[in-house]
Amino acid sequence: MLTRLLVEPFDLPFMQRALVEALLLGVVAGVVSVFVLLRRLAFVSDALTHTVFPGVVIGYLVAATDGVVWGALAFALLSAVLFTVLSSGRRVTEDATLAMLLTGFFSLGVVLVSRRSSYTADLTTFLFGRILFVDSREIVETAVIGAVVLAVLLLVGKELVLRAFDPGAAAALGYRVAVLDLVLNVAVALVVVAAVKAVGTVLVIALLTVPGATARLLSARLPVVMALSVAVACLSGWVGLAVSYEASVDHGVRLASGGTVVLAMVACYTLALPAGAVAARWGRRRVVPAPDPYPRRTGVDEVSG
Amino acid sequence: MSLFGEDYTRRALLEVVLVGALCGAIGVHVVLRRLSFFTMAMTHATFPGIVLASLLGVNLLLGTGVFGVLLVLTVAGLWTRRGTDQTSVVGVVLSGGFALGVVLLSAQSGFTKDLSAYLVGSILTVDGGDLLVTGIVAVAVLALVTVLGKELLLAAFDPAALVAMGYSATVLNVVLLLAVETTVVVAVPAVGTILSVALIVAPAATARLWCDRITPMMITATGLGILSGVVGLAVSQLVDVAAGAAIVLTACGVFAVSLVATRLRGRWTARRAAGRPADERPAVRVRGGAGG
Amino acid sequence: MADGREQPGAPALSLQHASIAYGRSTVVEDVDGEVRPGSAVALIGPNGAGKSTLIKAVLGLVPVVAGRITVLGRTPAQARRHVGYVPQADTLDADFPVTVAQVVLMGRYRMIGWARPPAARDRRIAAEALAAVGLSDRARERFGTLSGGQRQRVLLARAIAQQPRLLLLDEPFNGVDAVSQDALLQALARLRAEGAAVVVSTHDLALAHVACDEVCLLNKHQFGFGPTGTTLVPELLRATYGGQALEVRGDSVIVAR
Repeated sequence: MLTRLLVEPFDLPFMQRALVEALLLGVVAGVVSVFVLLRRLAFVSDALTHTVFPGVVIGYLVAATDGVVWGALAFALLSAVLFTVLSSGRRVTEDATLAMLLTGFFSLGVVLVSRRSSYTADLTTFLFGRILFVDSREIVETAVIGAVVLAVLLLVGKELVLRAFDPGAAAALGYRVAVLDLVLNVAVALVVVAAVKAVGTVLVIALLTVPGATARLLSARLPVVMALSVAVACLSGWVGLAVSYEASVDHGVRLASGGTVVLAMVACYTLALPAGAVAARWGRRRVVPAPDPYPRRTGVDEVSG
Repeated sequence: MSLFGEDYTRRALLEVVLVGALCGAIGVHVVLRRLSFFTMAMTHATFPGIVLASLLGVNLLLGTGVFGVLLVLTVAGLWTRRGTDQTSVVGVVLSGGFALGVVLLSAQSGFTKDLSAYLVGSILTVDGGDLLVTGIVAVAVLALVTVLGKELLLAAFDPAALVAMGYSATVLNVVLLLAVETTVVVAVPAVGTILSVALIVAPAATARLWCDRITPMMITATGLGILSGVVGLAVSQLVDVAAGAAIVLTACGVFAVSLVATRLRGRWTARRAAGRPADERPAVRVRGGAGG
Repeated sequence: MADGREQPGAPALSLQHASIAYGRSTVVEDVDGEVRPGSAVALIGPNGAGKSTLIKAVLGLVPVVAGRITVLGRTPAQARRHVGYVPQADTLDADFPVTVAQVVLMGRYRMIGWARPPAARDRRIAAEALAAVGLSDRARERFGTLSGGQRQRVLLARAIAQQPRLLLLDEPFNGVDAVSQDALLQALARLRAEGAAVVVSTHDLALAHVACDEVCLLNKHQFGFGPTGTTLVPELLRATYGGQALEVRGDSVIVAR
């Protein structure tokens, strides 16, 4: 029964390609999402998925399908630089700046695309992608970009962790914090570029936030978190694709594949919530449970003692 | 002269004025409390509410409203848990909520129809009922932020002191989050997700650049919200681009211009005040001499 | 200031073998002592000794797991209205759009009540509080434009405006200039003269000598609680600070941060 659900759908070539794409993205995004979690970049990821939209439109207008990746890449890098530069502003906080860049860039894309006739179809594809229609060339693109991202993270991973934990110490040791931030923002941007065309913005945001958050609920040790994050991302991709196939073929209910994959991920997070609490209680013996008495600001986490 | 001559453009004009005022006012608290991401997440996560309401045939605003309250309580509940990070909770709720909407929608037939309207709005199709609801919510939210003004100010400025004085931070937070969510629920069907986020964040952030006090900031943000709406709508009528997008670009453009202007002004005043003496001396920390 | 319901001479703060847990582990164990109206106690101990946690427990923000803490004869949570709290100024957002006068007025919010605007009386009390810390001329400026020491004074004025009967200060002298330090000490002395009790956590032993008549030595558990003259002595300080204490002359101790 389980074999029929989880293995059989992938006899079909288009399902195989979708699975390969989902697993590739799962590995890359699973790793990146841990850094997104540590640096609280969920909103940056969300913003990047939207700011590449005008790039996609312009790329398409200039060079049809061939131009899409390059347009997206150009705008992704531009936004990553802008985010890094503007996050140093003082009066207006980073999140407000992000919200405006996100909406502004996206609207630029909408203005460009609204002058074309296939307006709504373009937007829908952008949002939901079409993972069931990825071709081998797109898989190669994803693999190449993913390999670049993983290589970069392998090289500067420990510096990025240091910067996330203690930016003051990182600066004191002589690291350029702005450069480290730019590296991570570019890595996130590259994942967005690699994924957005195939799987759509919604799935990309989920891939960049949910696996890391889920893994962090279950463990506090970084290598374990990283492994769990990749596992959650890949497992959800597999199960989500299988379930959406099963539902549409055997039960006549069409479920958007990308959306189903995301829901599988969120299901993992929901299961991890109580599991994490149990594990934490188990790990500490004579411990008194206490509600967090300090109201925290979004994006600001102070621990005093 | 006939820019807003037609009935539907006059309704659209009234709608952007109401939404602009509402978003501008609540936006001040969104910006001061750093709730932009939360707002963005709510616009997306409320989506399944819209789909469910239309599937079940109940009133759209009622359906979305109920769903929105559930979302706010989920987020607030997860925020108070130890060990969950606020940003990632918002991220999970955003992607989960939106994906649920997508899956629900895809199970229906007309997959593509409503989506672009949902994203960028269809402000030119608002009717009298929409206007009435927007008006009522605008009045209610404006009254709320006025009546609870001082408590919300304290909560934003010094949450630790708020709790120390015996206020319930949770209650105030939930009230504010619900006000933001209500704004989103009312604004999204008319103007779309992207536009409502932009109208909430951009005027308030612009006002922050110009104002150093919360009351003038509130008034400026409300005014800028209305102004961006009206100018954007007029531009979209003249050049024939999507109205929602034109309004967003106007609001963000005003912010960009203000940013440059205030930076230049700051540089100018800094040069004038360069001669002022510093009044802070280094503190003495290491002391000795116990017992005598 | 007394509202008649308390017995005369009842302690403003009473710690009865209190142990406090924050999160996963017990932070402070077995603190025992009393603070009477009009007196001042310095909480002294190294970083991470649990001074802030103890203050938060007196505010009722952190649970007491053993023993008892009573404030003005009530539980900490019930007494909050009469307890002023001065956080460290540098934990606050310097870019926040509030004026100095607005910050001081925040101390009146609980008395004003929900949904009501401040009355003329509240504004007068706030203005007097600001005058007490010597910053009346800065009332209309933005909070963030003040120096660190001045911000700390504004936060003290906010607590004074609350007309507290117990005042808690968390490291109020950290990074404070000499002028502001004098102003803070004067304002504290006036509050005490009016019958308020003061608890102040500090690293500065000399200041503890000047500003307080009792000290509580704290490092996870209590190393001493009593009059400054007999408690602030090298042996007890060495015990409190462990390896962080450094003897210079026979009776002097420099405490490393």
